Order: sequence, then structure tokens, then C-alpha cells
Amino acid sequence: MTRATSVLCALLTACGSAGTDPRWRPTGERTPRPGGTLHLAMEFSVSSLDPLVAADEVMLYFTHALFDTLVTYEPSNPDVPTAGLAFRPGLATAWTISDDGLVYTFTLRPGLVYSDGTPVAAADFVWTLDRQLQKPGSALGAMLLDIAGAREVVAGTAPHASGLVVPAPDTLEIHLARPNAALLGILAMPAATPQPVGHDPDRRAPLGTGPYMLERWDEGERVVLRRNPRHRDAAHVYLETLDFLENVPRDLQFLKFQRGEIDTAEHLEAPDALWLDAQPAWARYVRTGETLQSYGSRMNVTVKPFDDVRVRQALNYALDKSHSVRLLQGAGVEAHGILPPTLPGFNPALAPYPHDPAKARALLAAAGYPDGFDTDYVVMANDEALRLAASLQADLAEVGVRVHVRSEAFATFLPELMSRTGPPFAKATFGFDFPDAADAFDLQFGTAGIADEGASNLSFYSNPTLDALLATARAERDPAARAALYRQAETIVYDDAVWLWDYHQKAVEVVQPYVANYQPHPVWIRDYSHTWLDLGPDGEPVPRGAP
Amino acid sequence: MIRLVVRRVAWALLIAWFVVTATFVLVAAVPADPARALAGPHATPEELVRVRAAYCLDEGVLVRYGCYVARMAHADLGESYRTRQPVTELLAAHAWPTVQLALAALALQLGFGVPLGVLAAVRRGRWPDAAAGLVGLLGASAPTFVVGSLLVWLGAFHFGWFPIAGYGDGGVLDRLWHLVLPALALAAAGTAYYARVVRTELGEALDADHVRTARAKGLPEWRVVLRHGLRGALGPLVTIAGLDLGGLLGGAVVAESIFAWPGLGRELLVASTELDVPVILGIVLVGALAISLANLAADLVVLALDPRTRGG
Repeated sequence: MTRATSVLCALLTACGSAGTDPRWRPTGERTPRPGGTLHLAMEFSVSSLDPLVAADEVMLYFTHALFDTLVTYEPSNPDVPTAGLAFRPGLATAWTISDDGLVYTFTLRPGLVYSDGTPVAAADFVWTLDRQLQKPGSALGAMLLDIAGAREVVAGTAPHASGLVVPAPDTLEIHLARPNAALLGILAMPAATPQPVGHDPDRRAPLGTGPYMLERWDEGERVVLRRNPRHRDAAHVYLETLDFLENVPRDLQFLKFQRGEIDTAEHLEAPDALWLDAQPAWARYVRTGETLQSYGSRMNVTVKPFDDVRVRQALNYALDKSHSVRLLQGAGVEAHGILPPTLPGFNPALAPYPHDPAKARALLAAAGYPDGFDTDYVVMANDEALRLAASLQADLAEVGVRVHVRSEAFATFLPELMSRTGPPFAKATFGFDFPDAADAFDLQFGTAGIADEGASNLSFYSNPTLDALLATARAERDPAARAALYRQAETIVYDDAVWLWDYHQKAVEVVQPYVANYQPHPVWIRDYSHTWLDLGPDGEPVPRGAP
Repeated sequence: MIRLVVRRVAWALLIAWFVVTATFVLVAAVPADPARALAGPHATPEELVRVRAAYCLDEGVLVRYGCYVARMAHADLGESYRTRQPVTELLAAHAWPTVQLALAALALQLGFGVPLGVLAAVRRGRWPDAAAGLVGLLGASAPTFVVGSLLVWLGAFHFGWFPIAGYGDGGVLDRLWHLVLPALALAAAGTAYYARVVRTELGEALDADHVRTARAKGLPEWRVVLRHGLRGALGPLVTIAGLDLGGLLGGAVVAESIFAWPGLGRELLVASTELDVPVILGIVLVGALAISLANLAADLVVLALDPRTRGG
């Protein structure tokens, strides 16, 4: 239907007569105006509003709006790409870290309450983190294993992690068994939000501390959030309601946007993005931001022919990454590794493997594949992934590697990718849980991430030198020294060509002229907690031609 | 008459039993572990144990089958592994949008198809017949995704008469306003088909003896057509409409997806891409039951309308 609409658009001579230029204009007001409803649409539906279950990107929009955390991130800033990655106080006003890096002490903000008025106590954090450790398969639980006593809770031999201590009602102490410099990032994940002691979250009835609370959820149709008047920073939350439509195809989203039925549209289809690029009047309303999503192809390095580093390097030389970025209409940056350019540890001395088919052929010949080889390539069944796979197929064919593309539903794709016996060559994505190199390196390239089924290390890559380096980096508290260690780690996986590195995705969103103070956030992506509507005195958008 | 009704009801029950059994066989025939198919690829060991117990998966095939039928009889269809929502709850939430769309589409099919067919039959061989034939050809051959996209483009985007997609905010008028385009997209093919059925049936009826008699008695032509001609064409039309209604109630996958209509059809699409087996089974079951029930209803209506069918 996507392409059908575009083709019809091209066929109809009347095309383009509706909504070419913005219909409204900002008023020029600088002071935020409280109130109003922001209308948005998304391609998928929300599966759950329980903060304790594993989050996908769609859920993140909501868990971030509904649930606050001890520490959080600075708002995004269009002029400083790394702005949204710095920590700032959330439910805690301050925290201290002991000299050995083992004890974190958080002081809670006075007067905190949940959206129903229940006071927030330090014991609530203990209850929630214990629950995460008790829950089998909890992603957050697996990240909390450095807390003293956490492994006993996971093993079921203790109900409570001894490292979680409440010395005073407004103080939380976290004692670690091993230093973990990434702990603050882990605690900033929405899954680490507190829930009242004894309260088990419900997928439909979230009880949170965030800037918004759930007003209505007609599953599969719309989710409506209302401003939480009890939020710690309610004075700086302006929009009264956020009205999300679920399951709206991307091309329809853009039509709706052009008709003014919704206020923002993101992740545009190719024809819409190209059209928008050609409209100077819209340029100032297109908001672009870095995200923490890295894309490439995983190769199972224990399986022939991918066990030979020369083959993996050859594929990296064969792939023309500029094609990928073009197919994304520029919503991407060519990659040389898994770390996006904004993260500490990103090694600027490295450059993406250049497109060099001759070198690729030479490497393949040296590895014993002068005529190339045949391989399956598995991607998730969606238009974008298939388009990019076709481009990869063409690039690799140039050096004699015959790629057979196969697509699968998400439900089977991921478990297969995480299996040792799954397809050796497949598209892989890494979305950072928190902005820290440790997240990507420990999960994707550390030996501990290897398992026959459910492996987080999708390449089954194991390198003792890298493991030692990652362990040192984990304990290193000096940010500069830590970044230097990850730069070394990047060089190792770059040289070993563990993935076929491809691109880092950018967020591109176009907003109506009256949507003020919005910029995609590097961590949360769609974060409207400080956005406001720059409307006229009558509460309606001001038409463009109006004085 | 009573015997006939009982027989039709028994048929409907038999079809329902057949569908339940077929879904059981589908799950049992999956080469993978049925517990894993039902609980989803991300299920924890605890969830697998729960599913195995609930579906009696450690028992023999007959016990498993009994277990399954008993669960169905209690309207227990398990829970979606994607959302952990009970399937019956999900079906209940998405049935109403589908019912509205199905009824609206059926009303449009009848409302446009029947007059078009009458016009073509009465003016056989002349230009209204040709025009109706052309409209019918277009409607019957254009797939829903083309008609739907065209309607979105013209009716919603270009002229702005209707909203682009969605279900509306709750008010009756707003809902109707949102309903027009998806119902039209869905009704396009049916309208064409109904027009052809009415044209053929009415054409035959107008040549029949009793119609000639009615004309000879000097009745006005419109009365001849509506009273004596159309009545004979109603039987096949009701049967077809019954089948269509059943099909529509099972969810219109394409139209609902194009128009972001939150019905069973779109849920089926979402569930299929996620291999959410319990939801897929639930919607298939509802669709099959809807078809057999609507068929039953159509049979009964035909019985009431046409004395000739009551013979036994």
C-alpha cells in the first residue's frame, strides 16, 4: 500500500496541490505556553506498559514519559549532539560514589510521590531492583549482577540482594561486589524505575513518577497520556495531553501530517523524505538527531567461511556503505564499529572500511575463495531491511560472493540470530540500553555473552585480550582513561572485522511550525517532556499568511 | 420447516467443531515443540511449564484433544505471547470495530449494488447497462489496496472530505465520518458483484410468466420490477450477502491495515508478522464461526422469504 500511494501520487496530475508549504507559522513567542494536545502517530502498537518487561523502541516512548528514574539525562540540544547523554539528577537530588567505586549513595528528592499520590520511599527501589533480579530472563536483572548479593537472588537462594541498603528513608545505598563504571547508566533505564513496595506492575495500569500518566489506552488504536500534576518538575512540563495513534502506516502518517491531523511525523518513507528535502519552506521544521542505534551484519566467526578474518575483512571492503546511507535518505552515518560517534570510546582515528572491491577479491583469494562463495543472508521482513539487503547483495556480488537473501518475522529472526546453529550471516542491530560503550562491548563482543541459545554475543566472537581490556574498562572510574580503553577495544574488533559494519541511524522528524522546543533525544528519541505549542491567543495555530 | 431449521443449526455446529479440530491439528502438526509455538520464542522455562500443564501437552493425543476442546468450550483461548493479554479479551476489544466496518460495507454493497443491478436489468443492452457493467468491471477487478489508496489520496488527502485514517474519537458522527472511506474500499468489489447478480436474476425473472401476467394486468412498471421481479432475485442475494457478512466479520486485513482501523483484520496482520500463534488461532476461529453463523442466518432468511425452498 505504501508504494501504491506513491505511484498513484505520481500518476495523478493533481498531485502536490494540497499542502506543499507549511500551513501555519510560529508566533515568535519565547515563553513556553502551557496546555494543549500533541497529536502523533506511530507505525506499531504498544505491547505493554509494564516497566519491568523488556522494552522495545515503541515502549520506550511511553516508559520514558510514565516512569522517572534516580538519575536521568540532560535534554537534547540541536547544537550539541552529545548534550542528551550527560547525567543529571532525577528522583535523586545527588549521589556520591566511594573512592573504591563500590558504594553508591543516592539522596532522594524530598516530597516525591507517584501519580496517585503515594509517597516514594527509598525502600521502593530495593523492592523493584530485587523483583528484576528475581524475574527470569530480565534484561535489567542481568545488568545488575555486580550488586553485592545479586547473584544469590538470581539463583533463588536469597530473596533480597544484600547490596541494596536503606540507611535512612530518603537514602539508598548500592554496594557493588565488583566496580562497574556503567552503573548510573543502568539505573537511568526506565526498567529501574521504583514501584511501591508490594506493588506488581500491571501492563495496562502503570503507576509511575514520570511527567505523564496514562489517561486512556484503546489497545491497537490509541494511547493517550495526560500531564502528571504531581511530577517533581511539573512546572516545566507544558503539553496537557499526548495523543498517540497506533498502527498507522508510515505513508499515511505523512499524509496525516500534511493535512494537519497530526503534529509530527518521523521515520519518513523514501518518497516523502525526498519530497521534504526539496521544500525549502519546510527545512527549518525538520529535526535531525543522533541516536544510539548501530546497524551491520553479524557473521558467526566460528563457522566457515566467516572463521577466516580475511573473509570478514573482504566483505567489509566489498560493502559500499554510502549506498546504505543513500537508501536511508541520509538518515544514517557510515560506521566503522558499533559505537556511534557521540559516545565516549568512539575512536576517531579509525575510518569505515573503504569500498575497495579489488582488495576484497585479493583477500578472498588469499583465504582460499578465489571464486567467492554462496551464502544465505537473513533479514527481518520489512521494506527498509530488504532494500538494504538488495544493495548489500549487489555489492558483494561484485567480488564474487553470491548472497541469497531470506526474510523472517521478528519473532523467529531474533531467537535464530541468538543461536549458535542459526544463520551464520544476518543483519544485526544494536540499540544501546544506555549511552555507554560497556553496553555494546560486554554484550556483543565479550566471551560472557556467548551461549548456545539466547546469546547476546551474536558473532560468537571470543578474544581473551579483549575480555581483559573490557574488565579493566569496567572498573576504571576516570572517564578519560576509560574512553582510551574502549578506543583500544574498538581497534581490536575493527581489525578483526567481527561484524560487517554498516551505519548508525539518525532520527529524522518533521514537526508543524507551532511545535516549539522539540529535538529528538539521543537516548529517548521521542521525548516531548519539554515541548510546547506555540499557538495564537485563541488556542489555534496561526495561519502562515496571517499578520 | 422445524426439521429444516434443526438441520441447518446442526450443520453450523458441525462446522464449528470442525474448525476447532482443525486448529488443534494445526498446532499439533507444527514440527517444533507446541508449547514453544503457543508461548512464543521468548518464553521463560516457567512459562513453558505453565503452557504444558494448561494444554495437557505431556499427555497422549486424545487427552490433549479433550483438554483443547474443553478450553475452547470455556472460551479460554490462552494469551497473546506478544502482549500477555488474554486472547478472548483481545478478540472482544477488536470485534466491535470490525462489526461496524462489516455492516457499513455490507450496507454500501447492497445500497449501491442492488439499484445498479436493477437499472442494468431494466435497461438491458442500452447505455445504463453498459455503464453499470463498466463500473462493475472496475470495482470487481481493482484490488482493495488500490481502491483504498486511491480513496485515501482523493477523498482524504486531496479534497479533505474525510479523515485520512483512524477510528475517530468516540462520537457517533465522528465515527461515521471515519467509517466512510474504509467501508467504501471494502464495498467496491461487492458492489460490482451484487449488481451483476441482481442484473442476471432480475433479467431472468422479468422474462418469467408471472411477471408477464402482472404486466398484462396493467400494473405500473416500477411495481412489476420491484414486487414481482426483484423478489425472485432476493434469494441468491441474501445467500451471497450472508456469506460476505461472515467473511467481513472475520476481519478485513487489507482495508483495516490501510485505514488504521483497529479491527480483527489488522490484529491478524500484526499477529501474523509476530507469529503470535494464540491470537492467530483465535481470530481464525472467530472468522470461521462468523461465516458459519452468518450462513445459517442467511439460510433462515431465505427460508422465510421464499416458500419454494421449504420443501424439505
